[in-house]
Amino acid sequence: MTISSTTAGSSSGAVHGAPAGESIRDTLAAHVSPDDRLALLRNMILCRVLERACCELNPRWFPAEGEEATIVGTFYGLRPDDVIAAHYRGPFIAYAMRGAELGRLVGQALGKANGYAKGRALGFTGPVELNIVPWVAGDLGTSLGVATGAALGLQYEGGDRVAVVSFGDGTSNRGDFHEAVNLAAVWKLPIVYVCQHNQYSISLHASQVLACGSIAARAAGYGIPGVSVDGNDVRAVHAVVQEAIGRARAGEGPTLIEACTYRLGGHWASDPGGYRSPEEENEWRRRDPLPGYERQLLAEGLVDQPALARLWDEVRAQVAAAVAEAQAAPPADEADLGLDEVFAGESALANGCK
Amino acid sequence: MPPRRLTFVEALVEGMRGEMRRDPDVFLMGQDVGVMGGAMGGSKGLYDEFGPRRVRETPISESAMVGAAVGAALTGKRPIVEVSFGEFLPTCMNQIVLQAANLHYMTAGKASVPMVLRTRVGDGPYRGHPQCFEAWFTHVPGLKVVMPSTPADGLGMMVAAIRDPNPVLFFEHMYLYHAIRGDVPDGDHATPLGKVFVRREGTDVTVAATGWMVHKALAAAELLGGEGVSVEVIDVACLAPLDFDTIAASIRKTSRLIVAHEAWKVGGLGAEIAAEAAERCFFDLDAPVVRVGAPQTPLPLAKPLRDRFLPGTHDILSAIRTVLTT
Repeated sequence: MTISSTTAGSSSGAVHGAPAGESIRDTLAAHVSPDDRLALLRNMILCRVLERACCELNPRWFPAEGEEATIVGTFYGLRPDDVIAAHYRGPFIAYAMRGAELGRLVGQALGKANGYAKGRALGFTGPVELNIVPWVAGDLGTSLGVATGAALGLQYEGGDRVAVVSFGDGTSNRGDFHEAVNLAAVWKLPIVYVCQHNQYSISLHASQVLACGSIAARAAGYGIPGVSVDGNDVRAVHAVVQEAIGRARAGEGPTLIEACTYRLGGHWASDPGGYRSPEEENEWRRRDPLPGYERQLLAEGLVDQPALARLWDEVRAQVAAAVAEAQAAPPADEADLGLDEVFAGESALANGCK
Repeated sequence: MPPRRLTFVEALVEGMRGEMRRDPDVFLMGQDVGVMGGAMGGSKGLYDEFGPRRVRETPISESAMVGAAVGAALTGKRPIVEVSFGEFLPTCMNQIVLQAANLHYMTAGKASVPMVLRTRVGDGPYRGHPQCFEAWFTHVPGLKVVMPSTPADGLGMMVAAIRDPNPVLFFEHMYLYHAIRGDVPDGDHATPLGKVFVRREGTDVTVAATGWMVHKALAAAELLGGEGVSVEVIDVACLAPLDFDTIAASIRKTSRLIVAHEAWKVGGLGAEIAAEAAERCFFDLDAPVVRVGAPQTPLPLAKPLRDRFLPGTHDILSAIRTVLTT
C-alpha cells in the first residue's frame, strides 16, 4: 500500500511500490463501507471474467487483467449524472457500473449489431446516454481534452457534477495531456485525471519513456494536487479518487492521480510479448490484485470461501449469458452505414451527456 | 429603420452578440478574446457585455481548447472556440477530425456537437498568418465548413453556425475584416448553411470563388462587362456540405466554369468542384474547367514574393479569356 501526495510547489516525486504504514491503509479502508467493499470485489471479478471472455472471443482485444483494482476503484461510486471517460483497457466494467448492458458491450467487441453504436465506433466505446464519453477516435489523448470540455460544461451549468477520466501512462506523454490538465487547473474544472499506470506503452517500459519516474509528480507543474496510489489496492484507489471527487465537487479544481498497476497480459490478447522478463511477470502475477483483495476480505470476515465461490459462479453465469446474447446477435448491418446520418438534424440536441 | 452598415468584423461580432443574448448556453473562448477584444477586434465589446464566464481567455493550447469545446458541446452547451489563426489548426487537428467530426455518426445519433470553431485566414492587412487550410476539412465527413465573404453573410452565417447542431468551422478572411462594409439585416437573421450564392448573374462564364476571391471575381466581372462579356459569380460561402446543384445550374447556363480560391490549387476545393463538374456536367461544358489558386510553394513572406504568390483579379481575367477562347 502506498499513497504519496505531491502538492503544488512540491518537488517530491512519488515512489512506486514502496511499503507504507498499515495505518494509512486502515484509515482509507475505514472510509469504504462493508457493502462497498463487497461491491468492489464483485465488480473486480466481473471485470476479470468479462475481459477474459472478450479476449477469448477477439484476439485483438486489449487485456485488462491485473488492472481491475485501478479501474473498479476509480469508477465505482460515481453519480449517474457525473461524466466519465474510461481508458480503452478494461472500460466495460466502468460502463456496466453505470448500467450498460453486458450483452450489448460484448456485442461491440465482436462487431455485432446489438452494440451501442451500430458498429460505427471503436469496440470499447460506451453509451453516451449514460454520461460516458464515447470512443470515436483511434488516437490516445484527445479523450482527455473532451472529458475536460465535459467538465467545463458541468462547471458552466453550475451544480456539483464532476468528470472522471482515466488514461494510460503512455497517453500521459501526449501533448494533449499537458494541455488538458493545464487548462483544467487554470479554470479549476471539476475533473479527476486518473492515470492507469500499467508500466507499459505497448512494448516499452515506463522507464524508457518517462524520465521523471512519477506521473503524479507532474501535478506540481500544473499547481494541482498529485497523488500516487497503489493501483492494485482497490480500496486505496477508490478512497483517493473519491477524495479528489470531493474536491472537484467543492469547486476546488482537478486532481491528478497515478494508480500504479501492471498489465498482466499483452497489449492485445494475442500479443506474443517477449519484451519483458518472466521474472517480472511472475512477480506481478504474485501481486495480482484480485486474489489479494479476496484474501483481505476473507481475513476481515466479510466473505467466506463458499460465498466467494458462489460469487464467482454468479459472475461467470452473468458473463456467459452476455456472451451468448452477443454471439446470437447478427453482425453489424451494412444498411447502418448511414450515409444520411453523418450530420445531426435540428432536433438532435435532446441527447448526449445530459 | 434604415439598414445597418457594418464592417465584416463588426458583423461577425454582432452575430455572436445576438446569439449570446438569446441563448445563455452560448459562450466564447480563445486567446485574447477578452479585455483585448480579440485579434483584429474579432470579439470587441463581448467581454464588457458578458464577462469572464462567457468570454473565456485560454492558454495557448489549441488542442485543449477545441477539445474543451467538443466536450462542452457534448454536455449540451453551445461553445464558440476561437483559434486565432488558421495556421494554428494543425495543432488541434485530432480534436477536429477525430472527435468533433465523428461523434454524431459514431454514437448512432445519440450525441451531437453543436460547436463553432472560428479562425482567421488569408492575406490580410497585417500580412501575418495567411495560410488557407480550409480545404483540408472539406475532406472530412461530419464537419461543416464555411467562409462568408460579405458582412451580411458574416453575421447570418455566424448565427446559423451557432444554432447548428453540428461542428462548424468558420473561416474568416482577414482582408475582409476592415476592408468591406455592407448592409446587414436587422433582427433575427440566419443565413442557411449548405448553400452557395449567386452574387452576380451572367451568361458567358461562371466563376465560383471563396472569400476575398469573390470580390476579385466581381471586379473581374465588372471589367469584362465593359467588353461585353457576361460573367456569373458564385460565392461558395459554404464549402462543406457543398451545394453543387447551384453551381451545376449555372454551368448549364454559361457552359464555362472557373473556380478561384486563395488556397493552393493542388488538392484544393477548386479541384473538388472541377471533379464534380467533370462527373456531372461534362456535356454541358464548352471548355475545360480552369482552376485559379496559389502556386505549389510554401507561402513566402517577403512582399514581392507574396504578391507573386497570391492569386488575383488578373489571374481570374486571364482564366476567363482562356475559357472563352477555347
